[in-house]
Amino acid sequence: MPAVRTARGSRKPPPEGFEDIEDTLLEFANKMKDAQNESHEGKKRHEMLWPIMQITHQRSRYIYDLYYEREAISKQLYDWLLKNNYADANLIAKWKKQGYEKLCCVRCIQTKETNFNATCICRVPRNQVGDGKDIQCVSCGCRGCASGD
Amino acid sequence: MLKSTHKTATPPPILPSLPPGWTEHKAPTGHSYYYNAETKISTYTRPTLGTPTPFPAAQIHITTNLSNPYSGPSYPHTFTNSTQGQTQADFRGRGSFKGGNGYQGRRSHHPEDRPKHRYAIPNCAPWTLVKTKLGRRFVHNTETKESFWKFPEDVMKGVVEFDRMERERREQRERGESSENQNDRETVAVEGKDARRCSITPAEQADEADLDSEYEEVEVTEEEGEDDEQGNLPKRHRTEEPDSNLPVEFNEDDIAYQLAAMGEEYGLDPGEYGEGDWEEGAEGLPLSEEDSIALFHELLDDHHISPFTPWETLLSSGSIVDDIRYTVLPTTKARKAAWDIWSRSRIETLKAQKASQAQQDPRIPYIAFLHAHASPRLFWKEFQRKHRKESELRNSRLSDKELEKIYRDHITRLKLPQSAAKSDLSTLLKSIPLKDLNRASSSSNLPSAVLTDLRYITLPAAIRDSLIDAYISTLPPPPAAHDNGQDDEDASERRKDRDRREKALAERERRVQEEKRRQRRDLEFGKGRLREEELELERAMKIGKGGLKAHLNDKEERGDTE
Repeated sequence: MPAVRTARGSRKPPPEGFEDIEDTLLEFANKMKDAQNESHEGKKRHEMLWPIMQITHQRSRYIYDLYYEREAISKQLYDWLLKNNYADANLIAKWKKQGYEKLCCVRCIQTKETNFNATCICRVPRNQVGDGKDIQCVSCGCRGCASGD
Repeated sequence: MLKSTHKTATPPPILPSLPPGWTEHKAPTGHSYYYNAETKISTYTRPTLGTPTPFPAAQIHITTNLSNPYSGPSYPHTFTNSTQGQTQADFRGRGSFKGGNGYQGRRSHHPEDRPKHRYAIPNCAPWTLVKTKLGRRFVHNTETKESFWKFPEDVMKGVVEFDRMERERREQRERGESSENQNDRETVAVEGKDARRCSITPAEQADEADLDSEYEEVEVTEEEGEDDEQGNLPKRHRTEEPDSNLPVEFNEDDIAYQLAAMGEEYGLDPGEYGEGDWEEGAEGLPLSEEDSIALFHELLDDHHISPFTPWETLLSSGSIVDDIRYTVLPTTKARKAAWDIWSRSRIETLKAQKASQAQQDPRIPYIAFLHAHASPRLFWKEFQRKHRKESELRNSRLSDKELEKIYRDHITRLKLPQSAAKSDLSTLLKSIPLKDLNRASSSSNLPSAVLTDLRYITLPAAIRDSLIDAYISTLPPPPAAHDNGQDDEDASERRKDRDRREKALAERERRVQEEKRRQRRDLEFGKGRLREEELELERAMKIGKGGLKAHLNDKEERGDTE
């Protein structure tokens, strides 16, 4: 999540090309604000962070897409965006590796945090989960992010 | 309705064996009919050894018609129930129904027909040609108030002339359309003819006797071969010349339906046989893949979509989904691929544009600002502090040093005498090549070489503009540019391509609409039939307290009155 930019001149201005994607980023920011202010009532304890994680994922994916796939933004702007926490650099670093192209969040591959030293259920390929099983992972509500799916 | 079903559907209790060569088949309508493989004749009436072919019946029927050809057209009372009338018209119009009762429905009710168009016949003043809703024609004399289904001798020539003119007009219209279309239609026509020649057509023969009372008019109406009228055929009831040796009367759609049924039996694709509106969609679109991608790109262009928006946002906003061009690509995956290509190229062009702008841009607004606000009384520091909030001074692309230098130069130039400033301006204008500055340009759209020069802003605006206008009026017109011709050609080619694609799209859309209409009609027809059956059931269940005998008596009486 990017820091709120207030006093002008206190930090470096964004590099060129930022004005092109500013609107979309603003939309993401608004969505994020809505998600933060949403009531937690009727939600399970672990479900509360799902929308936050999902919006973070979307925004990171957007920036990743712009820089690596569409080559629409400059290196300077990309670095600036990462530095200002518009995208999750660790997540993007994983996306660049084979087998992690669709990874939902970094927590889902943290094997040390689970009881049996295994990855999250969303990392299991769809054809191995079993027919008709509708899974949703605990950490971010992902329904499956294996590369083969 | 019930009665006739009863008659034709249930065979006589004791069936005499068929004569050799005849085989029994089931028609898609549920009737059984008989086909002779040798003579290639099919009939609904069961052939016995005595009557090998149904020809005699048909001929008798025709001769009875001919014996009384000048009977005026009489219209039956129209139905009060409009929906029933509607289904009735559908029966006759297309005949594309599924189920066993179709032909009975067509026969048992009086057809709803009424005059629709009236045309003047050339060279036959009081006579007019009237076309009815069902496509039949008769002549009407407006003076004597006479109407004939059979055209009298003298009127006949006029009608023939009229038909010829009409055909010519239609041909002209078709020639106006794209050649692709025409070819399409021609092949369809040929297919249709073939189908008519070879398909089994027993439907109407068995009905001849029943038809006598109601369809008398139909038999004598048309003299013209209408094979070239494939376009509006479905609306028209097909009729025959009395001396034709084919005893069957069958319209395109019956054939199409039979073909479809046969195709289903053999497990064929709908595109592989016959003609009709819906096969074209199955056989393949006129749009190639590149065309559809290009159409999708045009859609994106036309909606002024920013190439930087994420694909999901674009879909959820739904602005492009409503456009028909959205449906050109079959899958969302294909659309996303097209979107990727488009956004990449669009971002490329935007970048190029920005790069070309960036070189000229930064100094122009600053210099214009100086022209408005700078004065020799202010030092640079004072000027900077005074206007520090203006965007021209906060421009990050010009360093403070540069800004200061420009300001100081400008102030020193402001102290020059006016005559020197004027001569400087004229030298500046003369230094601009004719390509950039010519008679076509005005003081509001000067080239950037002028706008970024300090000599341009030394003089006050009023004096300067009048000087520049005077100078421009002495210049020759702009030299003819060679690049422009090339650009124009490219643009026209692109426009042509685009037109072609759009035409193809419209064509496709038309077909889809047609298909939809057909389905809706089928559905409605099915519903109508269901309702009728329900009614019949109800009627059958309603046997009064008088018992079966009373019911039977009732029925007999009704039969008598009919």
